[in-house]
Amino acid sequence: MSGSEFLRRVRHLFARDRAAEDLREEMRLHIELRARQLRERGLAADQAGYAAGRQFGNREWYADKSMEIWGWTVWERMVQDFRMGARTLRKTPGFTAVAVLTLAVGLGMNTAVYSVVNAVMLRALPYAQPGRLTSLWEEYPNGKDDALNTSGAPLGKAELRAGMARTTVSIANIGDYAKSQAFTGMASCDLVRMNLTGTGVPERLAGEAVSASFFSVLGIAPFRGRDFRVEDDSRDAVPVVMISYGFWQRRLGGDTRVLEHSVMLDGRMRRVIGVLPRGFQPPSEIADGAPREFYVPAAYSKQQLQERGDHDVNVVARLKPGVSMRGAQADLDVIQAALARQFPDTNKDIHPAIGPLRDDLVKDTGTALWSLMGASALLVLIACVNVANLLMVRANGRRRESSVRLAVGASRIRLLRLFLAESLLLAAGGCAAGVLLGAALTRTLIALAPAGIPRLESTTMDWPVFAFAAAIAILTGVLFGIAPAWQASQSKPVEALKTAARSSGGKAQLRWRASLTVVEVGLSLVLLVGAGLLLRSFATVMGVDLGFQPDRVLAMNINLPDLRYKTAGERLRFFETLEQRVRALPGVRSVAYANRMPMRGSWRSGFRLDASSGTLLADFQMVSPEYFETLGIGLLRGRVLTAHDGEGQPPVAVVNQAFGRDFLNGQDPLGRSFLYRRDARVEIVGVVSDIRRGGKTAPVLPEVYLSAAQTGLAPVRLADFAVRTSGNPLALVTAVRQQVLEIDKDQPITNVRSMGQVIDESVAQRRFQMLLLAVFAAVALALAVIGIYGVLSYSVAQRTGELGIRIALGANPRGIVGMVMGQAGKLILAGLVVGLAGALVLTRFLESLLFQLGSADWPTYACAVVVLALAAGAAALVPAMRSARVDPIVALRDE
Amino acid sequence: MTGSQRDEIPSGTLDLLILKTLARHGEMHGFEIADSIQAATEDVLQVEEGSLYPALQRMLLKGWLQGEWGKTGENRRARYYTLTAEGRKQLRQEIERYGRVSQAIARILEPA
Repeated sequence: MSGSEFLRRVRHLFARDRAAEDLREEMRLHIELRARQLRERGLAADQAGYAAGRQFGNREWYADKSMEIWGWTVWERMVQDFRMGARTLRKTPGFTAVAVLTLAVGLGMNTAVYSVVNAVMLRALPYAQPGRLTSLWEEYPNGKDDALNTSGAPLGKAELRAGMARTTVSIANIGDYAKSQAFTGMASCDLVRMNLTGTGVPERLAGEAVSASFFSVLGIAPFRGRDFRVEDDSRDAVPVVMISYGFWQRRLGGDTRVLEHSVMLDGRMRRVIGVLPRGFQPPSEIADGAPREFYVPAAYSKQQLQERGDHDVNVVARLKPGVSMRGAQADLDVIQAALARQFPDTNKDIHPAIGPLRDDLVKDTGTALWSLMGASALLVLIACVNVANLLMVRANGRRRESSVRLAVGASRIRLLRLFLAESLLLAAGGCAAGVLLGAALTRTLIALAPAGIPRLESTTMDWPVFAFAAAIAILTGVLFGIAPAWQASQSKPVEALKTAARSSGGKAQLRWRASLTVVEVGLSLVLLVGAGLLLRSFATVMGVDLGFQPDRVLAMNINLPDLRYKTAGERLRFFETLEQRVRALPGVRSVAYANRMPMRGSWRSGFRLDASSGTLLADFQMVSPEYFETLGIGLLRGRVLTAHDGEGQPPVAVVNQAFGRDFLNGQDPLGRSFLYRRDARVEIVGVVSDIRRGGKTAPVLPEVYLSAAQTGLAPVRLADFAVRTSGNPLALVTAVRQQVLEIDKDQPITNVRSMGQVIDESVAQRRFQMLLLAVFAAVALALAVIGIYGVLSYSVAQRTGELGIRIALGANPRGIVGMVMGQAGKLILAGLVVGLAGALVLTRFLESLLFQLGSADWPTYACAVVVLALAAGAAALVPAMRSARVDPIVALRDE
Repeated sequence: MTGSQRDEIPSGTLDLLILKTLARHGEMHGFEIADSIQAATEDVLQVEEGSLYPALQRMLLKGWLQGEWGKTGENRRARYYTLTAEGRKQLRQEIERYGRVSQAIARILEPA
């Protein structure tokens, strides 16, 4: 199309009415002149006019054709359709409001869930070309972890190969993996915590020990100063640190001469060489949400660089352009094969594996979010079905109107378009209301969501979200609009005009609506079963006995730096002093310290029952005398550890029941002994009850409690301190911190938590998932009930005449109710069957979220079926009762 | 008119006929164009006269014609069409094309 042609088109658009009028005038003149010519040739006046008209053809049709040339007609008709749709919708405000609200609920929930999914899982990571970043980890066959030494938590939880378990990466292996040609760079990182001293209040900060290439692999340049260089990454180099923007602002006041500063970390001065950009989060922070304040060169020791049996760090790698994930994996497999030959002891069973970094970081949350997404999709389907039902009732009421339109020459397509325009208008209204509702729901969702969902706080309503909402709205508009529109366009004008509005044709429609109802009941059942499974699973979790009493226990971490507390004895004395001081505080009932309190980690270690037997693994804890009392762990037999079990006394231990069960064939451990570390014989002097150290969903494991005072026994550091209080545990935080600072003014306390609160938080994610799905299921149930009520009321109204005759002939009202209820029963039953099938398939995706429960849990199914059947039955009862009260006279007169 | 043999107008030639008619007569309104084509072809070509108007509108859009409102001899308002420079060019192309096509057809029909 040339430019001038386009201009002519546009000019025409703005003079359309005028152009149409001109055309008509032209044509009128044409016919008049032709008629006159024919008259002059001798035709009679009336015949001449007729002949001229015939010779010209269908004037309106040619006028339309002529206007269509300019290309605006399609749009014009669309505008017309929408205008007309809007007019008809305005005429029935009640219907419109119900339809828009139903859609708004469905769309709003979808928008809210999608905006979270988008922020957490879909949005690209904030690094350069994030699509090429991979996470690299190592896998080993399940059950072979005995030989593995690991520290550090894996970065993510990506799907593993079948039968494999995941571990962090061996530093020595990285050197070999990095030789692969598939990557442009590979960097390692590992969480480190250090005490910051020398500038105000001492504080324990989380940071990362990284290889020099860490930031360049991520594609992040420092905001100020410089990146790490290879020279920095050495034990002999000048100690340096890069700090987060937050650290710079908060602890150094945003000083522009920051690069002249040094900071004291774990008693060592480090020169600040760079500040990271504002908002920068390393992958580990995105995964766990805990801010990283500083970065130090990892400076691995010679031993670390050679020891292939230790798996300690996380690895991120950047793929070369054009190299696929699979290609890179194949490359790594080749390297692994070589390593396995060269170092069979350590590398035979260790396989490097890679996955997209983003997926790795959010995998855990992924399942839960996708199931929510699925649930909200079901919900929007139910909303669609309901609105389709409403529209069909309406379309039926307008069959006469449609027939008249068809009879006077409207094309079926035009009629179809008219109905679709109405549906799309409803969808648009629903979309607008849904986005508003969605924005509110999103805020609620974020406010209620438990901690630990990566990137959740970055959730915003942005363009992808709006686009998603609009797409869903249009899809639903077409989806629920097409059936009624089709029906209306299929109406046969002659028949429809001949018969009363409510008789024939209603049957086909009723079949449609009945199947919609079946679908609706089915979808609701799927959601109910899903919610039921999560509810039951949650109840199971809540019912689990922890084996200890977390309420009113305050726990904290006091990490004593090596530079100041050189021996285990010095550390023990610190804790003994602190114990005495804190015990004297008002509101304190008992005090305990250990290497790790429950819910705060564990320490697995090997021992032997006697010299000839193999190594066994159990959780070992060095505990203070009041440990059991403070945590509320019950003594079953023997005695607990006391202050007399000190250095120089015979080594003693207290074990739990699981110890006897797992290692002694169920015999009583009391009085037995085992060999530990350099073959010290440790006597078991007491048996305490089992605990779930890792929380409600964690397994019960064998526990060995050693006396903290026997410091030579185990190479662990005392680090956790706990206080059982008579009131609110958090009220004591300040007093305890005061005592710590009075002993050592440079000693921070960290991770201060009420243990009850920690337990609550550990189930918060489950509770949240359960609540959300319950809300979804409730909304679905309500919509289904409305749907069933609607279909039955309509069918009863349709059959008023028939019912009137039956009653006039003496039918029993109870029989009439039974008949209607029977009809409802069939619908509900069919829906339940469809729903059961759907639930069996779909709830399998929930399996990983369930605790000690399969997805095919029949009591849950039974409950869901009963709830739905009762609700649906109640919904059916109202129109059924109404049917029995039909007045035969009124009914027959109406016919 | 009855009894005389009448043929459908070959598709695509209506444009050519309109352009040629206007080239010959200069300024004409719709009825004059139709009447002129009819007279020239001695009523052999049959076309519903209304079909002239979509064709005229299309040629207006393409810029081959210009339409000016004027008065007829009897002082009636009418739109008079004239060829533009582009219209003339188009006419030449159409004639050329028509010539090629009809020659090709003629060659097939010629007795070998």
